Formats: sequence, structure tokens, C-alpha cells
Amino acid sequence: MRVFRVMFGMEWKLAVRGMDMVIFAVAMPVAVMIVLGMIYGDRPAYAGASYSFVEQSFGAVTAVAIAASGLMGLPLVVADYRSRKILKRFKVTPVSPVLILLVQMLVNLLMSLIALVLVYIVGAVCFGLRVEGSWVLFMGAFLLVAASVYSIGMLVGAVSPNIKISNLLCCVLYFPMLLFSGATIPYEVMPGALRRAADVLPLAQGIKLLKTASLGLPADHMLLPLAVTAGIAAVCGSIAIRFFRWE
Amino acid sequence: METIVVEQLSKAYQETQAVDCISLAVERGEVLGVLGANGAGKSTLLECILGVRRPDSGKVSILGMNPVRDRKALFQRVGVQFQESRYQEKITVGELCAVTRSLYRSPADSEGLLSRFGLAGKQKCQVSGLSGGEKQRLSIVLALLPNPEVLFLDELTTGLDPRGRREVWKCISGLKQEGLTILLVSHFMDEVEALCDRICILNKGRTIFAGTVGEAIAASPFTHFEDAYLWYTDEEERQYESV
Ligand SMILES: Nc1ncnc2c1ncn2[C@@H]1O[C@H](COP(=O)(O)OP(=O)(O)OP(=O)(O)O)[C@@H](O)[C@H]1O
Ligand SMILES: [Mg+2]
Repeated sequence: MRVFRVMFGMEWKLAVRGMDMVIFAVAMPVAVMIVLGMIYGDRPAYAGASYSFVEQSFGAVTAVAIAASGLMGLPLVVADYRSRKILKRFKVTPVSPVLILLVQMLVNLLMSLIALVLVYIVGAVCFGLRVEGSWVLFMGAFLLVAASVYSIGMLVGAVSPNIKISNLLCCVLYFPMLLFSGATIPYEVMPGALRRAADVLPLAQGIKLLKTASLGLPADHMLLPLAVTAGIAAVCGSIAIRFFRWE
Repeated sequence: METIVVEQLSKAYQETQAVDCISLAVERGEVLGVLGANGAGKSTLLECILGVRRPDSGKVSILGMNPVRDRKALFQRVGVQFQESRYQEKITVGELCAVTRSLYRSPADSEGLLSRFGLAGKQKCQVSGLSGGEKQRLSIVLALLPNPEVLFLDELTTGLDPRGRREVWKCISGLKQEGLTILLVSHFMDEVEALCDRICILNKGRTIFAGTVGEAIAASPFTHFEDAYLWYTDEEERQYESV
């Protein structure tokens, strides 16, 4: 436990010092929230809606943080530590190299939790955002979506033979999810064809869960998104564990 | 009591037989030097002994333990320096030492080790900003932080200035006096003569000589160890050609 604390403290410090995740996982979603708030103000989501557009977007914006930390931060750091032989060096210590992977997952999760808090504060203070649904359900959904996206990121990190390939895979996964899953461009303003394409992206399903929980909508259509999100976490997670390359 | 025992260890990469049926034993308090040309298989041998690479066949025991199965217990007592070491970007010397110390039950004092290796006052510097030789010294410091009983060093003084090398030798000799068992890989004959009780010369993954430096010189037509070493590696080439 002491080892874990020291390592977590260190990797957290390094992540903050590195700035990438502070920008992409924390500043970016806050910026998206501000832009959406400035465009839509306190307008309702649609004529006669009981919640505002900003409230409708809250869950999606928090997913920007999950996507950045899970599809950029995590796989790149894993590939980097592998190519620097840091993972290999752990194999000649009393501590398992799995520990540093766990620490990295939690460092990235903490980044996205901080983003969640900041996005909420900005939304609540500036744009009258309120979470009508249950915070407990919302946090449950948030952690489930994070588990799902991080397991995709871990899979990329696990199997990429070098940083170049993991960089490429990260871009291929991150940018489409960022733009087309409804995280930045709201799902509701997309044309029908694009929406159907977006539905294929796992993050789009996760965002449905986040929205439903934050708005307190009835959960009758949530079985599919729930199954997809949990299924991806299980499948990608176990493939990553099975095929992880330490070198 | 033998601290490191290796029996008939073999390891092949796709085409190359990097380690070919090597056996060796190192007694407690002894320093064994592993020599050989670039690509002879020294680092591969070391990594197979440590369990970082999976050997194709053979048996290894260190302090009576299996390095893969008993990893956690064993590596409390073993220090390792790999041939090339890179660390987290932006980490400082002090931070790296602190994290490394946290992995062990009774680590050495990092301040003392750093100043012993000429790195006093570098604690706040980023590791990436150190010179090549300073990085090399740091990697030795990290290998010594566990307060090890057994030490593995892959090219310990590559990149060090002459004075730095002497200082490292002095330190290693001191550790040996204290009973540390050491397996080191080196390309420097003066270093091997100064430090090693026994040597093992590798060529293409096989042992072509095992014994003391004195025995190596005596069995060759030369009086200098470097000439003898070259003669051993050349002779192997000649035999290889005549086949
Ligand atoms: N990961 C690898 N994949 C394939 N071949 C490898 C790998 N690592 C080493 N080799 C090959 O195995 C042989 C032995 O390599 P090794 O690194 O053990 O040599 P070495 O004796 O340590 O050399 P040096 O003095 O240059 O450090 C070389 O021919 C090398 O090309
Ligand atoms: Mg080598």
C-alpha cells in the first residue's frame, strides 16, 4: 500500500508536469462546456423540454475527459514506458509491473474526475446547470464508461509494438470518438445519417447512459447501451490482459 | 554455497542462437565477469538469468530461489543494472531514487550513494538532463539502492571518464569485501582484471573460456590479458573457418 501511494504520487506529479492530459483531459472539456453554454445559454433542449440544452450536454462533455485520458493518455504512456524499458525494469524488483499500469489507470481516472467536477462547476455557476437525475447513477455510469474506454486504451497500449503504431491507433480511435460520438458536437444536432454512424461508436452508447442518468430520464431504452459498454470493458480488458507485451 | 547457479541455459531468437547451453556458477562474495564481442549473447544471458526473458531450456537459481517463481522475495535482495536505462520523462534524480527506495523493505540511503558516485547536488535535476556518464552512475546507484546481496551489472562503466571508472571500481571492490556476489558484463580488460575473480568468455552464445584471468593468460601464448582475450576469440573464428 505504501508502494502504491508513493508511486501514485509520483506518476500524478509527472502527469501534471507533462501537461498533455491537463490540456486534453481537463481544459478541453471545460472549454467545450463554456462554448456550448455561450451558444445555447439557458435555452431548453427542444421546444417544451423540461431541461436545458446545456443540461442535456453535460454527460457528453464529461465523456470528452474520459476519451482523452483513456484513448490518448493511457495508451501513450503504456507504449512510452514499454519502449523506455520501465516495465521491464519492474520485473527485476519485488513489485509487479502490473502495479504501475494500475497506477496509470487511476492517475488518468483522477484527471477525468477533476474534469467532471470543473465542468459541473462551470456549468452550474455560469449556465444554470443542474443534475435532475441521480448523482449515484451518474457516477456509476461515469465509472462504467471509463472502464470501457480505458480497456480499449489498454488494449491499444498492450498490443502496439512501438510508439508510432500506438500513436496512430490512438488518433484513429480518439478523433472520431471525440467528434462523432456526441462528446463535442451534440448528438441532437447531428443529421440522421451521422447519428446512425455515431451509434456504432462505443462512446456514443456510453454517452446515452451518462445523459439518461444526469437528466433522470426513464431508463427503458438503456439495456443496449449498458450491454455494449459493459461488454467492451470485459472483452477489450481480457484481450489486453491476455496479450499484454511487456517488451 | 553457490549464490548463482545456471545450468545448460539456451535461448534462440528467430534465427540467432543467442545463448547456447551455458552453465556457470558464482560463489558468495565472488565477482564473475562475462566477456565477449558485440552480439555474443552477454545481455541475453543476463536477462535469461534474471527471468526477464524466457529461456528455451535450462535452469537458473539465485540465492537458492527461482527468479520467475520467487520474484518478489528474490528481488528484495538483488540489484540490477541493465545495459541501457531510460526513465520517465521529466522525472528528477531525487524522485527516481525515492520511488525506487519505496519498492524495498530496507533500502540504502540514497543521499550517501549519490555522493559516493559523484551525483551529490543533482537531486533536483531532471534525469534526461544528465550527461551520459552521469546517467550511467545513476543506474549503478539505483542498482545499489535495494542494499543487495547479489548484483548484476551490464556494462557498468561504459561512458564513464577514467577517474569515474576508477571510483566505480573502488566502490565495487569495497562491496565485494562486504560479501556481495557480483555478475558483471564488461568490454574493458583492465576493469575485468581489476575486479573479477573469474571470467567467462562468450562467442556466439557459447562459453569458449571459463576460469581466472591468470589461467586465461597462462593457457595462451601471451603475457597480457587483452592479447590473450583476442587470441581466444580469434582462435574460435579460425576453428570455425576450418570446419
Ligand atoms: N529482441 C531480440 N530479437 C532478436 N534478436 C535479438 C534480440 N536481442 C538480441 N538479439 C540478437 O541476439 C544476439 C545476442 O545479443 P545480446 O544483446 O545478448 O549481445 P551482447 O553480447 O549483449 O552484445 P553487446 O556487447 O553489443 O551488448 C545478437 O546477435 C542480437 O542481434
Ligand atoms: Mg549487451
